[in-house]
Amino acid sequence: MIMKLKNVSLLLIAVVLIAMSCKDNSETIEITPEAFHASVDKTVEVMVHDIFSPPVASRVFVYPNIAAYEIIAQNDSTFHSLQGQISHLKAIPKADEAKNINYPLAALIAHIDLSKRLIFSEQRIETFRDSLYQIWEATNTAQFEASKAYGIQVADFIGDWMDKDNYNQTRTMSKFSIDPENEERWQPTPPAYMDGLEPHWGKIRPFVIDSSAQFKPLPPPVFSMNENSSFYKELKEVYDISNQITKEGDASEEVLIAQFWDCNPYVSVTRGHLMFAAKKITPGAHWIGITKIACKTEDADFNRTVFAYTKASIAIADAFISCWDEKYRSNLVRPETLINKYMDHEWKPILQTPPFPEYTSGHSVVSGAAATVLTNIFGDNFGFLDDTEVPYGLPIRSFSSFNAAAQEAAISRMYGGIHYRAAVEVGIGQGKNVGNLVNGRLRMVK
Amino acid sequence: MHKLRPIAVLLLFLIVACTTEKDELFISAAPQDTGITFKNTISETDDLNILDYIYFYNGGGVALGDINNDGLPDIFFSGNQVSNRLYINKGNLIFEDISDKANIGGNSSWNTGAVMGDVNGDGLLDIYVCAVVGLHGFNGHNELYINNGDETFTESAAAYHLDHDSYSSSAAFLDYDLDGDLDMYLLNHAVHTDDSYKGVALRQQRHYKTGDKLLRNDGGRFTDVSEIAGIIGSISGYGLGVAVADYNQDGYPDIYVSNDFYEDDYYYLNNGDGTFSEKLRDYFGHASRFSMGNDAADINNDGWPDIMSLDMLPEDEVVLKSSQGDDNVQTQNMRKLMFGYHYQFTRNMLHINQQNANYLETGLLSGVAATDWSWSCLFADYDQDGQQDLFITNGILKRPNDLDFTNFYSNDKIQSNKNNPKLMNQKALDSMPSGMVSNFMFQGQDNLAFKDMSGQWIPDDKLVSGATALGDLDNDGDLDIVVSNLNDTPSLYINQTNEKASYLKLKFDYTSPNKVGIGTKVFAYNNGKLQYKELYTARGFQAASEPMIHFGFDTIQRIDSLKVIWPDKTSQTLTNVALNKTLSIKPDNPKPFDYASLLKGPKPLFKKSEYNLGIDFRHIEDKYLDFNRQKLIPYRISDRGPAVAIGDLNDDGKDDIYFGGSKGYAAKTYFQTDTAYVERRIAALANDSIKEDVEAIIADFNNDKKKDMVIGSGGGDYANQTKPLLDAYYVQNNGAFNHKAFPEFYENASVMIANDIDQDGDLDLFIGSNAVSYDFGNIPNSFILRNDDGVFSIVPNEALQHAGMITDAIWHDFDGDGQDDLIVVGEWMAPKFFKNNKGTFEEQQVMDSRLNGLWRQITPFDIDQDGDTDYLLGNWGTNSKFKASEDGPMRMYYDDFDNNGRTETIVCTERNGDYYPLLGLDDLASQMVKLHKIFTSYKAFAGQPIEKILGKNLLQKATFLEVDELRSGYLKNDNGRFTFVPFRNELQVAPITTFLNYDFDGDGQDDVLAAGNYFGVTPFHGRFDAFPGALIKSKNTMILGNKIGLDFSNKAIKSLNIIHLNQKPYLLTTINNDKAQVYELLK
Repeated sequence: MIMKLKNVSLLLIAVVLIAMSCKDNSETIEITPEAFHASVDKTVEVMVHDIFSPPVASRVFVYPNIAAYEIIAQNDSTFHSLQGQISHLKAIPKADEAKNINYPLAALIAHIDLSKRLIFSEQRIETFRDSLYQIWEATNTAQFEASKAYGIQVADFIGDWMDKDNYNQTRTMSKFSIDPENEERWQPTPPAYMDGLEPHWGKIRPFVIDSSAQFKPLPPPVFSMNENSSFYKELKEVYDISNQITKEGDASEEVLIAQFWDCNPYVSVTRGHLMFAAKKITPGAHWIGITKIACKTEDADFNRTVFAYTKASIAIADAFISCWDEKYRSNLVRPETLINKYMDHEWKPILQTPPFPEYTSGHSVVSGAAATVLTNIFGDNFGFLDDTEVPYGLPIRSFSSFNAAAQEAAISRMYGGIHYRAAVEVGIGQGKNVGNLVNGRLRMVK
Repeated sequence: MHKLRPIAVLLLFLIVACTTEKDELFISAAPQDTGITFKNTISETDDLNILDYIYFYNGGGVALGDINNDGLPDIFFSGNQVSNRLYINKGNLIFEDISDKANIGGNSSWNTGAVMGDVNGDGLLDIYVCAVVGLHGFNGHNELYINNGDETFTESAAAYHLDHDSYSSSAAFLDYDLDGDLDMYLLNHAVHTDDSYKGVALRQQRHYKTGDKLLRNDGGRFTDVSEIAGIIGSISGYGLGVAVADYNQDGYPDIYVSNDFYEDDYYYLNNGDGTFSEKLRDYFGHASRFSMGNDAADINNDGWPDIMSLDMLPEDEVVLKSSQGDDNVQTQNMRKLMFGYHYQFTRNMLHINQQNANYLETGLLSGVAATDWSWSCLFADYDQDGQQDLFITNGILKRPNDLDFTNFYSNDKIQSNKNNPKLMNQKALDSMPSGMVSNFMFQGQDNLAFKDMSGQWIPDDKLVSGATALGDLDNDGDLDIVVSNLNDTPSLYINQTNEKASYLKLKFDYTSPNKVGIGTKVFAYNNGKLQYKELYTARGFQAASEPMIHFGFDTIQRIDSLKVIWPDKTSQTLTNVALNKTLSIKPDNPKPFDYASLLKGPKPLFKKSEYNLGIDFRHIEDKYLDFNRQKLIPYRISDRGPAVAIGDLNDDGKDDIYFGGSKGYAAKTYFQTDTAYVERRIAALANDSIKEDVEAIIADFNNDKKKDMVIGSGGGDYANQTKPLLDAYYVQNNGAFNHKAFPEFYENASVMIANDIDQDGDLDLFIGSNAVSYDFGNIPNSFILRNDDGVFSIVPNEALQHAGMITDAIWHDFDGDGQDDLIVVGEWMAPKFFKNNKGTFEEQQVMDSRLNGLWRQITPFDIDQDGDTDYLLGNWGTNSKFKASEDGPMRMYYDDFDNNGRTETIVCTERNGDYYPLLGLDDLASQMVKLHKIFTSYKAFAGQPIEKILGKNLLQKATFLEVDELRSGYLKNDNGRFTFVPFRNELQVAPITTFLNYDFDGDGQDDVLAAGNYFGVTPFHGRFDAFPGALIKSKNTMILGNKIGLDFSNKAIKSLNIIHLNQKPYLLTTINNDKAQVYELLK
C-alpha cells in the first residue's frame, strides 16, 4: 500500500511536470480512484475537527457520493442511475455532449463541492480543492472548465434535493426532555452529561427504506430491577463482563475490541477546569474506511470505487435513520446510569457512554447494514486488514469477512459497557434488514 | 538617600496626579523602592503543570501583621515553589528582607495560604503556612513558625499538632468554643477525579487529605474535632475560601466555606455547644458554582455581616463568549434531582444578610457579579466615605476553559502526540489563551450598589493576582493593599486618601491567649448611621490582613459612640470618640451583652396559619419545558399559573376558592364552611383537566344571582388551533356548572378582568394574552368581550388586540370622567392607557417617556399620598443578566432567521453602542446551524456584535422589540401625566409578579403587599429567588416581608388574595409549583 501511495505521488508530480511543460494544454486529465479516496478522507478529517455526530456524519457522506455516482452513471453503461430507484431523486441535468467533459473529474468536483457545503470548516476543503484545481487547469483548461461547470451544476441539483430532507426543520424541533424521576427513561451520562443527540433523526427523509419505522425492532426487554427479569439479567451481564475484562487488563482481547470500535467523535476528557475532546471518527466513517480498503484490495477503478462508496453510504445513512427512530421510541436508559445507581457508584464503562438512548445499538445497526451491502459488492469471505483507526492511535485488526467485522463491532459495545445484549443482537439484525433492502431495491450494476 | 527616594516618588506621583484627570486612589510602590523583590515564580515542567494539578495557578499566600511589635505591619509571603519571605516594615514604605535569619523559608514542596495569629498567646504573632502534600511528589507539612520575639522563628507545627500533611489551601483562626484561645479552621481541597462527581452522599465519607478540619486548641495542642463538631471533611470539598463571622449574631462565630466545582458551599452555624450545623439550603436560594475566595462584611450598615463568594464569570465580551458557560437547564435539574446538589451559578454572589432569614443575593444588581477568574475579595472603606468598597483580584496564566481549546485542540495535536504525552502537555498549554487581566475595584454606594472604579482607583496592571492582604503600611490611617502575584513581584497599592477623609483604627488588647482580640465586634454610631465590623484576619483568599479594625467617616471629626463587644459576650461603650487616630482598646469594666437586643425588628403582621384553614392545595407544574422547544427564548411562558379566584360557588353566602391546574391536573375547589375550607369536586372542571388554567373569575355573568365562572387557558404548550387553548365559560344552574358558548380565540390567556364597561348592568371582560405558543416574539391577540344577557362577543379594537405581550391589566378611571378605563401592562412593551368612552376604548398618551419594560403587574395606589392615584408597576428587576436603559434599550430580534419555517428570537443587550447577543455560539447555532459555517472557531465569534453575526441584511429584515426599564416602581401621577419612579434596590432583586391592596397593619389606610420571584429562566440567569415580599405603605416606607412574618423567599408567587373564615380575614398566597400558604393577619 505504501508503495502504491508513493507511485501515486510520483505520478502526480509527473502529471504536474508534464502539465507545466505542455504547451498545448489538451491532454486528458486523469482521475484516479486514489483522488476520490483522498476527497473522502479529507471530508472525514474535517468532520472530526468540526465534531459531527454519527447520524449527521452519515448524511455528510451520502449526498456527495450520490452526486458523484449519478455523474459517472451518465457516461458508464455498466451503471444504472439511482433516479427513480430512490423514489424522490429526479434525473440530474444532462451533460452537454458537445463539451469536452471528463466525467470522473466532474464527479470528483461535485463530491468535493457538496462535501464542502456539508461540513463547517470550509477553508480546509477549499485549500485541498484549490491545489487540485490548479493541477487540472494546467493540464487541460478547457476540459477542466467544462467538467467543473457540470460538476457544480450537478452538485447544485443534488444540493437542492438534499435541502428538502427535513434536516433544516429538525434543527428547530424540540430537544429531548429529560425526566430525572423516570428511571427507565434515558438520562444524560457522565462525565459531560450532554443532551440527547439528534432526537428527531428518525424524521430525516430516508433513501431506500420506506419509512424510518420500516424495520422497527422488537421492543427491548421490559424494564425491571427484579433480579429474575431478563432486563436485570442483561444489565448484570454488562456489569459482570466489564468487571471480568477489566480484571484481565488492557491487553485483553475484549478490551482491545471495545477500544478498536469505539468510534466516538467526542469523548469528553475533564481535568479540573480543563476540558478537552478526545476525538475519533464515527461508526459510519469507519465503514467508509473499510469500503476504501475493499476498493483498494480489489484494485477497483474510479467508477466502481464511487459505486461502492455510494451504495455503502446509502445503507449507512438509512441505518442511522432506522436506528435513531427506535432510540427515541424506546428512550431506554444506559447501563451506566443504572449500574451507578444500583450496583456500584464508582463503576465506569470502558468506553465513554455516548449521549443518546440505548436501544438499539447504533454501531450494530450500521455495521449490519454496511457489511451486508459490502458483502453484496465484494463477496463473502473477503478478508482484509482494517487500518482505519491507525491515525487515532489504535492497532490494525484483520477480519475474514465484512460480516465477521460487523459481528465484532456489535459485540464490542457490550465489552465497552455501553449496551445491553438485546441492543446489540437485535441491532445487527435491524441493520441487515436495511442492507438487504438496499441490495434488493437498488439495481446499480447492470 | 534611601529614605528620600519614596518621598520623591510620592511627590512625583502627586504632581502626575494633579496634572491628569484620573482620580487614582492608590499608587503602586515599586519593588526597587520598597525592597520587596519577592517573586512567586512557578516552574512548569512536563510532570507538573496545570494539566496535572488543577490548582497549579492558584498562587501563594500573604499575611500582614506586626511581628516585632514596633507599630508597623510586616509582610510575609509564602511561595508555591520558591522560599517564603518575611519583610520587616522599617517605615516610609521601606522593607527589610529578614527571611534568612528568621528561619521561615519553609520545607514543603508546595506552599499555599499564609496566616498570622498568636497561637501560643505570648503577645507575638506567629505564622502558619499551608502546604499541599502527597500529590505529584509534594512533600512536607503545614508549618507553624513560632515567633521568638527577636525576629527569628522556630518551626513548631508538630509540637502543636498542626503539622498536617494534606491538600491545604488556607487556614483561619477563630475561637469557636469561646474558651479564650484560638482554634483553627483548616481549609483543604480535593483534586479532580471523575469519581467524585457522584452526588452529595460522598460528603459523608471523611477523607484525611482533602477534607476540611476544625482543630480545637487544647492547651497548645490542636485536636481534630471535625467529626463531633459536624464539619464536613470529604473527598468532594474543594475549599478555596473561608469566611468566619457571627452571621446570626448570637455571640458564636459561624463559618462560610466556598467550594470550587460542583460541591455546594457550606454555611456552618455555630450551635454554641461545640458543634455546627451546615445550613446552606436553609438560608441561600443559590450559591456561586466555581467558588473561590470570599469575604464577610456589613455592606449595608445594618449591623449584620454580608457575604461575598467569588466565581469566574468574565466581564469582557470576548472572554465571555469564548469560555464555557453555565449548565443547560436540564443538566441543572439533573444535578439537583439526581445528585442532590443545591442551585449553583457561575458568577460572584453577594449575599445580603437578612437576620436569620434567607439571604438576599444581589450580585448582578450590585454590579459585582462578573470579575473574571477571581481569587480574592476584600471589603473595606478604601476611600473612607463611610461605605464599604470592594477590591477583587483575578487572573489565570492560561485559560483551560477556553472553548476553542476544549473543542478543537485535541484533534490537531493531542491525537498525533498520543504516544508522547509530555509533548502533548506542552502543546496543550501553549494553545490555551492567557488570562492575565486587570483587577477590579468597586466603590461602595448606598442602596446595595457598587461603582466600578477599576483602572481609576487602582493601576491597570495586567497580572495574575491572587492572595491579598490589607494593612496600614505607612501608618497614615488609610488602608493599603498587598497582592501576591504569580510569576511576578507583589503589588503594593498605597492608599492616597491621607487627610482627605477621616479614619479610626482600632487595635485590641484583649485577654491572653487571644491578645489581639480575634472575634471582637465594633458597632460605630454616628448621627443615626451605623457601621459594624468584626475582627477576623483570615479573609479573601489564602491570606490574612493586619489584625485591626478600620473605619472611614468621610469628613467628620468625632463620632457619637463605639460599642465594643468582646468575644466573651461582654461589652463596653466609648462615647464622643475623636477620629484620625489609632485607639488601643482593652476590656474596661465590660458588662454582659444581650445578643437578643440585636434581634429587635418591626412587629410581625403575618403568621403562617398552622392548619392552612384546611386548604391543602399544591400546584404542580407539568413537565413541559419551553426551552426544549424554543431554544433561544429568554424565559418560559408555561409557568405563569395557577389561576386562583374567590367567590361563592354554592350560594351559601360564603366565598369559596378556585385553584386552576396545570396541563393534566384538574382544577380544585375549596368550599368555605364554618370551621374550615373543604375540597369538593365540581364535575365540569374535572373534565377540563387537560387545560392549563392560568386565570379565572367567579362572578354572576348572566344576572341570575348565581355565580358563574370564566377560566382562561394558557401554558404555552398547546399551539395553533388546539381546543385546550380555548377559554371556558361555565354557568351555574341548580348547583351544577355547565359549559356555555364563549368566543373562540386560541391564545394563551394571561389576565382576565371583569367590569361593566358600557354600564348596561352586566359584567364585560378583558382577556389579555402574553405570548404565542412556539412563536415567541409574535404579538398575541387580546380582546374585550361585551356581555349581552350572559352571552359574550368580541368588541373589535385593533389597537388593543395587538397591544403587546400583555401580562396584567386593571380597570381604573385614570382620567376621572366617571368611566373605568383600561390600563394594560406587559413584557417588551410600555404600560398602555385605553380611555373608555361608553364602551369603546382608545389609547391615550399620558406618560412622559416610552417606558417599555418586562412588566408583570400593575395596581392603583396613592403611594405619594398626594390625593391622586399613582400606579405601582411590577417589573423583572435588575438582578439578572438583562440590561436595559432608555439610552441603551435591550432588544429582542424576531424572525425566521434560518428560513426553515420557524421563528427565532435573539435577545441582545447594548454595550458601547453595539448590540451583543446574550447567548453564545453553541446556543445560537443549535437553532441556526449555518453559524457554525460562518464562525468555525469561538475566537472568531467572540466579541462580535449581532450585526456581524447575522449580517446587516438579515438583521434589517427582522423585527425587534425593546425594553427601556427593568426596575419595578410606580407611575407618579401629576395632574393626569405620569412619570416613572423606581423602587429602591431591595425591591429589584427579582420580578414582582403580584400586588395586593389592603390595610394590613390596621392603620385605616390601604397598603400594598408586593410579592414575586420567578424561576422560568435558564442557569445563565440563575434563579430569581431572593425577594422576600414587601409591604409598601408609602413611597418612603417599604418593609421587607421577612421582617413582618412572611416567608416568600424561594417561592414563585403567583397571587395574593384576602380570604375569610368566620368573617376573619386571612392572606392566601398562591405559588407556582408549590403549596398554597395561608397567613393569619396579626394587626
